[in-house]
Amino acid sequence: MIALIASCKKENTVDNATKPVVIGYLIPGQSISLRVYSQKGLSDTATYGTPITGLTPSVSDGSKTVQLTDSGNGIYTYNDLSFVSSGKTYQLKFTYNSLPVTATTSVPSKPVGFTASKTLINLPTGSTISPQATDSIAVTFKWKNPDSLYHVIVFKNDDSSPFNIHPQFNAAVNFTINAKKAEYYNVYYRTFNYIGIYRAILWSVSEDYINMLKTNANTSSQRLTDAPTNIINGYGIFSGMQSDTIKLQLTQY
Amino acid sequence: MKKSLIPLLLFTIVLHCTAQAQHTKRLLKKSIINHFFTCTLDKMFDTISVAYQIPIFFEREQIQKMDVANHFFEESLEDVFKYVCKENNLQYWIENDGTIYILQKPDDLPRLRQQNQLKKTGGLVKPKHLELAVNPPTRHHFAIHGKVSDQNTGEALPGATVKIRFTDLSTMTNTDGSFSILNVPSDTVSVEVSFIGYQKDIFRLNSKNIDSALVFALFPTMNALNEVEITDKKTGVLNTDSKKVSVLQLNPTALDKLPNIGERDVMRAFQLMPGVSATNESSSGAYVRGGTPDQNLVTFDGFTVYQVDHLYGFFSAFNSNAVRDVDMYKGGFSSKYGGRLSSVTEIRGKDGNKIETNIGGDLSLLSTNIYAESPIGSKSSALIAFRRSYQGPFYDKIFGQFNSSATTAIPSGRGGFGGRGGPGGGFGNQTTPSSYFYDINAKYVYALSPKNTLSVSYYNGHDNVDNSREMNIPAFGTASSSDIKINDKTISGNTGAALKLTSTVAKNLTNNTILSYSGFFSDRDRTNTGNVTDSGTTTTINSGTLEKNRLRDLSIKSDWEWQATSKVKFLYGAFGSNLNIKYNYTQNDTSQLINKNNTGTIGGVYTEAEIEPNDKLHIQPGLRSTYFSPDGKMYFEPRLNLTYHFTDEFNLKGATGRFYQFTKQVVREDVAGGDRNFWVLANNSTIPVASANHFIAGFNYETREFLFDVEAYYKKLDKITEYSIRQEGFAGGGMPFRNNGGTATLTEDFYNGRGFAKGIEFMLQKKMGKYTGWISYTLAQAKNQYDVYGDQYFSAPQDITHEVKSINMYHLQRWSFSALFIASTGHPYTAPLGTYSVTTLDGNKVTYLTISAKNGERLPAYHRLDLSATYDLLKIDGHKVGSIGLSLFNVYNHVNSWYNEYYIRNNQVTTTNVKYLGFTPNITLSLKWK
Repeated sequence: MIALIASCKKENTVDNATKPVVIGYLIPGQSISLRVYSQKGLSDTATYGTPITGLTPSVSDGSKTVQLTDSGNGIYTYNDLSFVSSGKTYQLKFTYNSLPVTATTSVPSKPVGFTASKTLINLPTGSTISPQATDSIAVTFKWKNPDSLYHVIVFKNDDSSPFNIHPQFNAAVNFTINAKKAEYYNVYYRTFNYIGIYRAILWSVSEDYINMLKTNANTSSQRLTDAPTNIINGYGIFSGMQSDTIKLQLTQY
Repeated sequence: MKKSLIPLLLFTIVLHCTAQAQHTKRLLKKSIINHFFTCTLDKMFDTISVAYQIPIFFEREQIQKMDVANHFFEESLEDVFKYVCKENNLQYWIENDGTIYILQKPDDLPRLRQQNQLKKTGGLVKPKHLELAVNPPTRHHFAIHGKVSDQNTGEALPGATVKIRFTDLSTMTNTDGSFSILNVPSDTVSVEVSFIGYQKDIFRLNSKNIDSALVFALFPTMNALNEVEITDKKTGVLNTDSKKVSVLQLNPTALDKLPNIGERDVMRAFQLMPGVSATNESSSGAYVRGGTPDQNLVTFDGFTVYQVDHLYGFFSAFNSNAVRDVDMYKGGFSSKYGGRLSSVTEIRGKDGNKIETNIGGDLSLLSTNIYAESPIGSKSSALIAFRRSYQGPFYDKIFGQFNSSATTAIPSGRGGFGGRGGPGGGFGNQTTPSSYFYDINAKYVYALSPKNTLSVSYYNGHDNVDNSREMNIPAFGTASSSDIKINDKTISGNTGAALKLTSTVAKNLTNNTILSYSGFFSDRDRTNTGNVTDSGTTTTINSGTLEKNRLRDLSIKSDWEWQATSKVKFLYGAFGSNLNIKYNYTQNDTSQLINKNNTGTIGGVYTEAEIEPNDKLHIQPGLRSTYFSPDGKMYFEPRLNLTYHFTDEFNLKGATGRFYQFTKQVVREDVAGGDRNFWVLANNSTIPVASANHFIAGFNYETREFLFDVEAYYKKLDKITEYSIRQEGFAGGGMPFRNNGGTATLTEDFYNGRGFAKGIEFMLQKKMGKYTGWISYTLAQAKNQYDVYGDQYFSAPQDITHEVKSINMYHLQRWSFSALFIASTGHPYTAPLGTYSVTTLDGNKVTYLTISAKNGERLPAYHRLDLSATYDLLKIDGHKVGSIGLSLFNVYNHVNSWYNEYYIRNNQVTTTNVKYLGFTPNITLSLKWK
């Protein structure tokens, strides 16, 4: 009977607390910049954890392997702008704490045929505000997507001090919309909280990037899960991506 | 002709079986006294004893010190007894042999009874004992059948022992209180009937009464807890049945002797026994042997109950005043039961008083509870019980525990204490919410004939948990402001009804057929309504989610018991259920994100044999086969249960079996508003039918006073389900994606895995005496493995390694004191280890937690001490009419952790530790009219 009770096995072979955090975006025509740092303590208010230096990360496209240069602040770079190109699969590799840290990503093709239904958008004012007005479509973006790639649309405001038309909502100036595998996206008036010059940047991204952003991390200890990551023996993101941009002007009068 | 004779016969039998005590009672009521007494009290009792031929027993040395000088004029003997006893601070008690005992204190009875036994020859008037057989035996080797009931209420007594005197022939009454014994040697033997809390009685058979249904009515003992005289009977609040494997029995009448938090709770009482986890304060559901509450089948008078608790899980859905008795099968249960992986809790409601009308109730700091029961005509009885909570100080405390909006930042990561950062925590004006629960139990029992009884049982429970609040967000330097009402309302409840026909088809064949309905609903409204005024323009807002879970269960089952020979009894039957489960998740009134509507039929048959080849061995093989329509498959569940009585004291026991579960309760994660449970029906794809195999072995050593019980179990589970729902466009801490459209999309995932639970339970119980109680220890492990989390087994959320329970009760006259101590390993949980931030393409930073191995950490150990003192309200004639109880929950105010919550704000994590209840006193007043 006593034999039924086996002793407790150690449940975890890799200590999650010592895993490094890796952030690397591969964009054709740009140099590779990889950021590697430690996790932060729960109450740490710094943006990033302590940089991890002295690593020797390499990136391989299957035929060619290049070493990234240690910049000394946890940032590792490679400056040959021709190394990253569309359609290729890249593998990142380095060793940390005697554990191999790896990640693999493909670079999606550049978005094609990115158009906006209008580039001058006048947001409803106080007298025209109504559920009907804010729930209607402000602008429709279209692009070609024959290969069903994942897309996000990033909105970046270029004004030095953007004007918030909904100060009660405390919304971020710059934001991202998940367009998934679609070929168009309708943006509603209510999505915009600031006026001024915006860049609407359509990025083709890897599924890993989408997964990381769409997770709704749970905050109760009864069911916490790690956010999705494609870094093996680490956290963060290693993703290929390419973009196209349309400039918008937002007004309210 | 024959038919008209039966009621008459029944009447004479009842009269005959209970003649002595009834005779004394009748004498007391009907005899009118006209007498002037000026003497010592003992002389007066002697006079009455001789004059009315009533055996009266008292301690002469004490009683002769008391005097009486009174002229009784046209007064009943009963009033005279009441008067002189009251004057002299005495009580009287009529024992079932008709003897009147004169008591100075309630605990005197056992001693007096013993003295009376020794001095049997000395009394002036001897009590009538069992009459001798009038004629020589005329009939041999025949069968008898009948029922055991309570003399005062007519309520059936299941589990009573019926034994033919001086033979090995004995049986226990079934769930309806009926029994049958084959091969009774002759029609002159006597039958010994005994049951917990009742005076053992002996009834003589004769050639006339053996052919009809016998009714053996027992008298309650004076106090259910301190009966030292009754041999081989347990008298505790909770008992283990040493003849069966993994069975716990509970009789709610003694529940007021235990500490309670607000309400006497039949479900929570089981948590004091080994194998039922006691550290889930927020759930009245039973975590049995590493199982979850949805793996425990709960039935009330035959219908399945899908929600077993009230008010955040703190209170059982069952009103103890409407409950007659409860059996819990911790595993390896009979093939009569199915559809659950882990355990069975069978609750039987009271039939209602068949002898006289009675009303009663309880008043506590949390709720009011009233009931009424009455015979209706000569053939039927009814009971109705109603309970409602109100917003007393105790309610506020519990509500505060679950909804405190105070959060505390903890600088050093894990640990530390604070309230729960509940919905809307931190800002806004919270209006006082108005949560409450109520439930109604009603039952009507009608005797169609002596052999057929029809009963209707109805239950309706309703919970209204309202966390709604109003927020006023002032303008931030502009001309805008908002008045928003955040609705957060959960209305849930159960309705159950059962129509039951109990028939004695033949002396050795009985049948119970139940037609039942059970409905469960849970509606959650989390919507925001209100007005936003922006630059002088007011906009109406109406957004949020509505959630509805509906379950409807229409069932029929027919259970048969056939005592084929004196060594073999067959149980068999058929069952069928039609289940419909709906789950609906609507956003902004319009778009249905999830709309499930599943219907399934479950039907099958079972058979089981209880074989006793000799007086040592009891073997109970069974088979249950079930057809489940959604996947069109047959499921076979073989079961086996056996006990071996080495000696009278030492028993070996074992059980094994296979169990399937077709309906599951899954958890929908909800970051902002708390997780929600809902029921789903297995299907052929994402939600498979779950299965379990049980292996149980144990032994017990039982003497008159003590029971030492050990059971070990291993339970293998397969195809258990976890539910995950991810809503896109709704983000956690960092808001990485802007929610653009009015509707979000949901992805549902059902993760299926496997698991096991194993453990060993030890219990040492002192069953009788002034001090009773038990100490138990459980060593256990429960682990699950889901492919989605990797191939390693991780601790199940309900896994508890060590659990110690010490239950101590002390009885002193009218007082009962109890102390409970419970200590266990903390629950496993998943902890955040650190954080990291990622700069996204829009330049914002999103912060994520890094997480320990799933359930890799443990909350601090759980322990608490509860104390209670109960004062019994006894009438002059010794009958208990109520009690006043003071309960102190968690006396030394130990902080027991429930779970932790983490909030990411500006790259930093705030930890709040959500606690269980601290020190909580409660007072309960229970009263009944008779």
